[in-house]
Amino acid sequence: MLLASLFFYTWGEPKYIILMLASILLGYGFGRLIQAFEKTMWAKVFLSLSIVSGLGLLGVFKYADFSIQTFNRLTGSQFPLLKIALPIGISFYTFQILSYTMDVYRGTVKAQKSPLKLATYVALFPQLIAGPIVRYADVAAQLDARESTPERLYTGLRRLILGLAKKVLLANTLGELCAVFRASGEKSVLFYWIYAVAFSLQIYFDFSGYSDMAIGMGRMFGFDFLENFNYPYISKSITEFWRRWHISLSSWFRDYLYIPLGGNRVSLPRWLLNIALVWALTGLWHGAAWNFALWGMCFAVLLIAEKLGLGALLKKLPPLVSHGYVLFFVVLSFVLFNASGLGGARQDLSAIFGLSGLPFSAEQTLYYLRSYALVLLAAMVGSTPLCRDALSRIRSSGRGERLIRMAEPPVLIVLLLTASAYLVDGSFNPFLYFRF
Amino acid sequence: MKKQIHFLPGLLCVGAVWLALALFCWFHPAQELSLSERRKLAQFPSPDVHSVLSGEFIPDFEEYTLDQFPFRDSFRTLKAVWTFYLFGQKDNNNIYIADGYAAELAYPLKEGSAAAAADKFTALYNRYMAGKVNRVYLSIVPDKGYFLAEANGYPSMDYRRLAEIMREGMPFASYVDITGHLALSDYYKTDTHWRQEKILDVANALVDAMGSDSAARGDYLEKTADIPFYGVYYGQSALPMAGESIRYLTNETLEACTAYHVETGQAAAVYDMEKLHSRDPYEVFLSGASPIVYLKNPNAASDRELLLFRDSFGSSLAPLLAEGYAKITLIDIRYIAGDYIGDYIDFDGQDVLFLYSSLILNNSTMLK
Repeated sequence: MLLASLFFYTWGEPKYIILMLASILLGYGFGRLIQAFEKTMWAKVFLSLSIVSGLGLLGVFKYADFSIQTFNRLTGSQFPLLKIALPIGISFYTFQILSYTMDVYRGTVKAQKSPLKLATYVALFPQLIAGPIVRYADVAAQLDARESTPERLYTGLRRLILGLAKKVLLANTLGELCAVFRASGEKSVLFYWIYAVAFSLQIYFDFSGYSDMAIGMGRMFGFDFLENFNYPYISKSITEFWRRWHISLSSWFRDYLYIPLGGNRVSLPRWLLNIALVWALTGLWHGAAWNFALWGMCFAVLLIAEKLGLGALLKKLPPLVSHGYVLFFVVLSFVLFNASGLGGARQDLSAIFGLSGLPFSAEQTLYYLRSYALVLLAAMVGSTPLCRDALSRIRSSGRGERLIRMAEPPVLIVLLLTASAYLVDGSFNPFLYFRF
Repeated sequence: MKKQIHFLPGLLCVGAVWLALALFCWFHPAQELSLSERRKLAQFPSPDVHSVLSGEFIPDFEEYTLDQFPFRDSFRTLKAVWTFYLFGQKDNNNIYIADGYAAELAYPLKEGSAAAAADKFTALYNRYMAGKVNRVYLSIVPDKGYFLAEANGYPSMDYRRLAEIMREGMPFASYVDITGHLALSDYYKTDTHWRQEKILDVANALVDAMGSDSAARGDYLEKTADIPFYGVYYGQSALPMAGESIRYLTNETLEACTAYHVETGQAAAVYDMEKLHSRDPYEVFLSGASPIVYLKNPNAASDRELLLFRDSFGSSLAPLLAEGYAKITLIDIRYIAGDYIGDYIDFDGQDVLFLYSSLILNNSTMLK
């Protein structure tokens, strides 16, 4: 498993395999030291060193040029950029290693004595480059003993194919619409909204599709990763949204940053600061640019508002209103997320509200709306639990269960072949999150 | 145990398909060309230390795996079927099918591109032709979108504005509007090009506009190539469309004509029958793309000459103009830079016709 994972990583990133191995080694060493000196001051020292080294490497490779650019802009300096290529998956494996050493410090898990097993945990190829962020505690037992049964193989394979279909058939198709929008010289307000919805759906299916593939593959190999998405677009509050979206990341920040900072068990000003800090960092985790930080801060404002009374109000409102509230702000947030910097974000948000002098609609807008209407509809329906619930109702009867069991394999085969067809017809096919 | 057995059939079915695909991918012999896409397919990249460490090897390998995927054409058809009929999308890779014709989404009009083309032609005129040639003419061949797009709910280029830009950018040229002499049925269903046997009206309109002797219009015998023709859009659309027939017009005059290709130094017949079995059978007309071709008519009634600045549409049109000219020089500035034209052409009293399709003018960066 480890060899396969290292080969997988080297295949995509031959230069930085050493970096990942070094990070793993540091995590292993600090984990052993933390445990060896548990309940002493030295445990805290080694934990601090683990955090500093992990975040230090992440900072250099991901945020160095961002920091230099920001400094240059603020001071008028002209320090040259380092132009360091971002290693694939560094955000994911760094956070996994940090969660491991922090869990060892807390006593949640015992330090792994075998460097190979720890390396297997960190480098596990199903989730290495785009998550979910797997906690060591969740897979520790499985590192030692896994089972592979027909059920696990089939259900894992099913999940893998469904994830592949979500990514290739839906996310990539919606991505084409977004690309057409970006290249269009005939934008309109309506086209901006279509783009905003399309991108919100694209990023969901891209990321949740990849998570499904990772979870499915993990299951086939005997690992049980936790769910990373739980139909976030049915949320009735932003608070709920972030319990359903990229669950492994939001829970990581909650458990390893927000709660250690005191969470909400501090004074009001400190609590507000905690939320602001956590969400600014959540935003920056997604990308080294200020529009990502702003994206995170927008959620901070909404979360604070919900905690201070808006949340209670939302519970009293009709579900349609609260859903609408969530979708409105989430869709706009993704416009900010996908903008080319702060300037681009300002331009996009002005245009989407008709403040840029664009017409409401145009010929090209209507053409692409007609062309992608079914895809958008399918994606919207697919982002809700409607299909899952329908299947559950069918399965609840013996006959229905047999019907599903017979129909499922041909459907999966069709999806596999069609996803392959889409890949063959296209070319380069990057996952949106793999550069984090 | 019983529960586990329930999963075996599904696992074996799906697993078998996956395994079969994987084995096909690994052991399917590599193909050199894609006839449907008319291009070379990527081959296995040579792995060396530099290419692997620099990261060049991986993208090349990925391109190779996609290009060499077994039954590639069938999979592309599957994707096209899903796109059009399940997702209800109106185009696939910018190709749409309406009224049985495949066409390319040519939208919007890139005014800058058209203006740049007019500037290039003007520069050529100023450099080589001003004061030296007879009259200069300009004509634009509308692509199929002219007939299909708006009528079928597709975005349509502003063809009127295109003509306006070209006319304003080339005031020295007389514009000949041939759109009134064309209909959708004058084009191949699966290709960009028009059918030679259907454009006699166009040829006559140009001959009239250029003041060529009406007696120079010939009678033709229509011949049909014995192979089915699948045009460029057939491959791009990846949809199962019926093959068509290539027809060409010939007579004693054309049989006596020769086409001398400056690039190869070879003379050939007007219709190059070997090309019917090549990647692009449309190249039967004057052997396809060539920077400069001298089409000589030894039986011409006069010694008039024509300089035809053209794209591939000109290949099938030029033979229909041959009756009225002793020599037609076809110049394709996609394949020869303007700086070198003077090395091959003596500008002295010829008629000049700039004949380009709307698709080329809308993407004029390919003009050198």
